[in-house]
Amino acid sequence: MAFEDKIKDHEARRAKAMAMGGPEKLEKRKNAGVLNARSRIDYLLDGGSFRESGMFGTSYIKEMREQTPTDGKVCGFGEIESRPVGVVAYDFTVKGSSSSFTNNRKMSHIKDMGAKRGFPIVFLSESTGIRMPDVMGEGMGLTNEGNRFWRKRESPWVSSLMGYAFGSAAWHACAADFNVMRKGSVMAVASPRMVSKALNREVTGEELGGWKTHAEHSGFADAVADSDEEALDLVKTFLSYLPTNQNEAPPVLPVPPGSEDGGKTILDLMPESLAKVYDVRKIIKAFVDKDSFFEIKARYAKSLTTGLARIDGHTVGFIANNPQFKGGVMDADGCCKATSFIVMCDSYNIPLVFLQDQPGFLIGPEAEKNGVIGKIINWMNALLQVTMPRISIILRKSYGRGFINMGAGGIAEEVAAWWTADVSFMDPRSAVTIVHGVDEKDDPEQFNQLVDEMRERGGSAYDLASVYGVKEVFDPRETRAYLIDMLKFHRSRLTGGVGQHLLSCWPTSYV
Amino acid sequence: MADVDVKVEITGSVWKIVKKVGDKVEEDDEIMILESMKMEIPVLAPEDGTIKSIIVKEGDSVVEDQTVATLEN
Repeated sequence: MAFEDKIKDHEARRAKAMAMGGPEKLEKRKNAGVLNARSRIDYLLDGGSFRESGMFGTSYIKEMREQTPTDGKVCGFGEIESRPVGVVAYDFTVKGSSSSFTNNRKMSHIKDMGAKRGFPIVFLSESTGIRMPDVMGEGMGLTNEGNRFWRKRESPWVSSLMGYAFGSAAWHACAADFNVMRKGSVMAVASPRMVSKALNREVTGEELGGWKTHAEHSGFADAVADSDEEALDLVKTFLSYLPTNQNEAPPVLPVPPGSEDGGKTILDLMPESLAKVYDVRKIIKAFVDKDSFFEIKARYAKSLTTGLARIDGHTVGFIANNPQFKGGVMDADGCCKATSFIVMCDSYNIPLVFLQDQPGFLIGPEAEKNGVIGKIINWMNALLQVTMPRISIILRKSYGRGFINMGAGGIAEEVAAWWTADVSFMDPRSAVTIVHGVDEKDDPEQFNQLVDEMRERGGSAYDLASVYGVKEVFDPRETRAYLIDMLKFHRSRLTGGVGQHLLSCWPTSYV
Repeated sequence: MADVDVKVEITGSVWKIVKKVGDKVEEDDEIMILESMKMEIPVLAPEDGTIKSIIVKEGDSVVEDQTVATLEN
């Protein structure tokens, strides 16, 4: 046959690239219950849709070529639920998927095309960081950083950390719109070994940058998974709420049967006493499309809940005070969480719904050390630049500055209230102590009289409605119907459901 | 088995202790209830485990980040 040598040679080279770091390393991962780079791609993408780019890339150092198939990163294009994506899968079996010139060029190409042609990029990350021999000495001089972290959110970036994540894997995780961390993964600036040496004590990966650190403290893990497969499922779920790029409206899905039923149970989920707390996530789940609530940063700043859901098939972003945790008090971490969620939603044409039930911002020296003042105003800065619809519903109490940060006070285009709403500068009972110096335990009769006088100023839903401070007052069971109508009337028809993206260059990590 | 500290997330006072030493709890089960900002705020188990110790009593004042109980898991 003509060209038989060429055909055989090509197949041999292809097989070598497909074999990654070799059968022994792949077997070890399989036995540990961990997928490899190519099996992660197979799991993530629609079958047969992957088109690899740079399969024959290797180390730029000639002597290292044989040891570096694909130069340790498997990159290319594919489809998830028939929608195009770019994929960068770090192959840990090849030099720990360390970053070097060829694989950085591959990665940059996929990212650049995602931005230029309008499709999401998914990072399947696991890396030891930069490949040190390559960058030592004059190697640093060959570095060309370019624009790789100038995030303009032309299209979504999604990261799934599934192992050690140093260097490029960590940077992209933090620059992504959504980052899921599989348990057992470690993300840090430097490795546990390096840190242990520097601190002169043993520091484990878990302590340094495990899932708890990033899910509960830094906020860099938007979700946590028990396995690679669960992490990849979360990636797909997140993308299903978003458009393919910033110039499209999010996809509209059919409304699941039974979506109208949950609203009837809302009064059973709410305590009648204002002193009792509840989990706002149960309320949200009751009135959104059935099983559509997808929480983001569930373990971080828990007194503020953020998540995507669908109402009548349309993606909506929820920011809700959650009294279950710390009474719903608003704090510095909550400000960061709200701000980053606002930026993500607005950048991808997702309307925002605020649900208010908060006693104010957390006060005290620790709050000040955490920079709460600046973070409150950053939140406002972002909120004012939103061009997608904003709707705010006051569920129960809403005191002080938080009332405005949560969309009232002329910010959201629609502000409404449940008939349980109670709005004031502060809780009237606290106001009496501060203004009159009277404590309940010292003189209950005078205290209660002064509280009644404070309340006469009127902060009920109807008091607000009398001056059009809220545009509607309704029964909590009507929340779904209210949102269906408001989202319908406020759809950005003049621009095909697409916003102006004033926040698209906002910093990617603001904690 | 490692001990896990159950910490309060907000300053307040202990209103009601719901669990006792030896009780098995799952993540997010209520261990005690604080009174703060005129609300009854639950202190939840951070993970699955068995209550090893309850360090406070009803009526005690507590501050943010204070350990009020420990779990064995």
